[in-house]
Amino acid sequence: MGEAIVITSGKGGVGKTTTTANLGTALALQGKKVCLVDTDIGLRNLDVILGLENRIIYDLVDVVEGRCKIHQALVKDKRVDEKLFLLPAAQTTDKNAVTPEQMKSLIDELKRDYDYVLIDCPAGIEQGYRNAVAGADHAIVVTTPEISAVRDADRIIGLLEQEEITAPKLIINRIRHHMMKSGETLDVNEITTHLSIDLLGIIVDSEGVISSSNRGEPVVMDPANKASLGYRNIARRILGESVPLMAIEEDSKGMFSKLKSLFSR
Amino acid sequence: MKKQFVHMKGTKDGFILRLDDQCAYVDLVEELKGKVSEGGIDGKVDVQLHLGYRYCSDEQLKELVEIVQQSEQLSVSKVQSDVLTVHESNQKILESQQDTYVGVVRSGQILRAPGDIIIVGNVNPNGRVEAGGNVYVLGKLKGIVHAGVQGNEEAIIAASRFEATHIMIADQVEVMSDEQVKIMNRTEMVCAFIGNDGRIMYDQIHTLKNIRPFLIASKGGS
Repeated sequence: MGEAIVITSGKGGVGKTTTTANLGTALALQGKKVCLVDTDIGLRNLDVILGLENRIIYDLVDVVEGRCKIHQALVKDKRVDEKLFLLPAAQTTDKNAVTPEQMKSLIDELKRDYDYVLIDCPAGIEQGYRNAVAGADHAIVVTTPEISAVRDADRIIGLLEQEEITAPKLIINRIRHHMMKSGETLDVNEITTHLSIDLLGIIVDSEGVISSSNRGEPVVMDPANKASLGYRNIARRILGESVPLMAIEEDSKGMFSKLKSLFSR
Repeated sequence: MKKQFVHMKGTKDGFILRLDDQCAYVDLVEELKGKVSEGGIDGKVDVQLHLGYRYCSDEQLKELVEIVQQSEQLSVSKVQSDVLTVHESNQKILESQQDTYVGVVRSGQILRAPGDIIIVGNVNPNGRVEAGGNVYVLGKLKGIVHAGVQGNEEAIIAASRFEATHIMIADQVEVMSDEQVKIMNRTEMVCAFIGNDGRIMYDQIHTLKNIRPFLIASKGGS
């Protein structure tokens, strides 16, 4: 029996879908069997970020309404061998097409076959949010170091605390080191104490995330990227390892390259 | 001789009219009218009405006050009664209860309490606390607090860090604008209360003992 984790934020555009895609891929790379569920019915994106858009035949609404079997709708990601699957959302209808009860039984069914079921939650706190949370055992709240995102995260944590799930964990996304250092954005410590929940990890802002999303290839596949390292660390923490928080400093030149540049002048 | 229903007593603060609490209400009204119109008073005098154990409805109270104030020299400063209705008494019991809430009051949440409430944790922006009595926040107060919701003007608000967006006590509202930044920057515990001028004021927590000496008098203990 696996675990179902909902990834949510309240505010839109903070990186829920990117986080879902990358965490799912990172967990699959660690050898776990993972199923990603896109619950953003009507505005699906997860398939695009994973580059699986053109392989969708059936979707979540088809499964719920009994038009196909669950395994027929699942799309396999070929890059991670037999480990990563996607249950895409429908694009032609809206969030009211599914009820929380239907979602719960769907997630329960998926949990039997997978180690981790990651649920990508739509923005907002309406029907779509209730659907996404219905089947979850755990929750991850994604925020960015902006006041508006932190406010919405606070609201969503309040709502999550009323659900029958474990205490939500926090991911701070899109950290810009120089702005945090100069005090123009909230820093990691401020956000964590304000929201008073456990910090699961931090992701630095990286252009690689955008370009790889556009290519349909999660950034975790690129081991050199700093954001990728952040996602890999979070995946390891989910698996129970204790990994220290990565340093957010921008790459400064090492001692050796400094010496080298000194002599090469 | 007929028994007097209205006794008048002079004190340095003005007259006290002690009204008989056993006679019929109509008799009392009649005699009060007579007494007030007697005259012979120089200047303006404050009058306190003592009703004893008579229960008066709101209309009756209004009538009595109007009768006294028909005489231009007299103005009623206070009405005192020894009677409390069951409803009022229950309200007082509720308001004297103390609840403790451990956790964070988050954005969009409303925490309600019939009496006093102690919050062990922060009140985050857009979080709201409504209490019939006092509100004590053992943490950062960054949201909205309404103390004395039922109109208790004696209610106070105290917080370890006072960074609220709005506070309300009884029917007084304060929007914490830039002028209040001084309070926000204080690192010691601050309390807010309604001052003598009827407006919300702030002071250090240790002054509370002088401002509201009866704050915990009814709670028992030694």
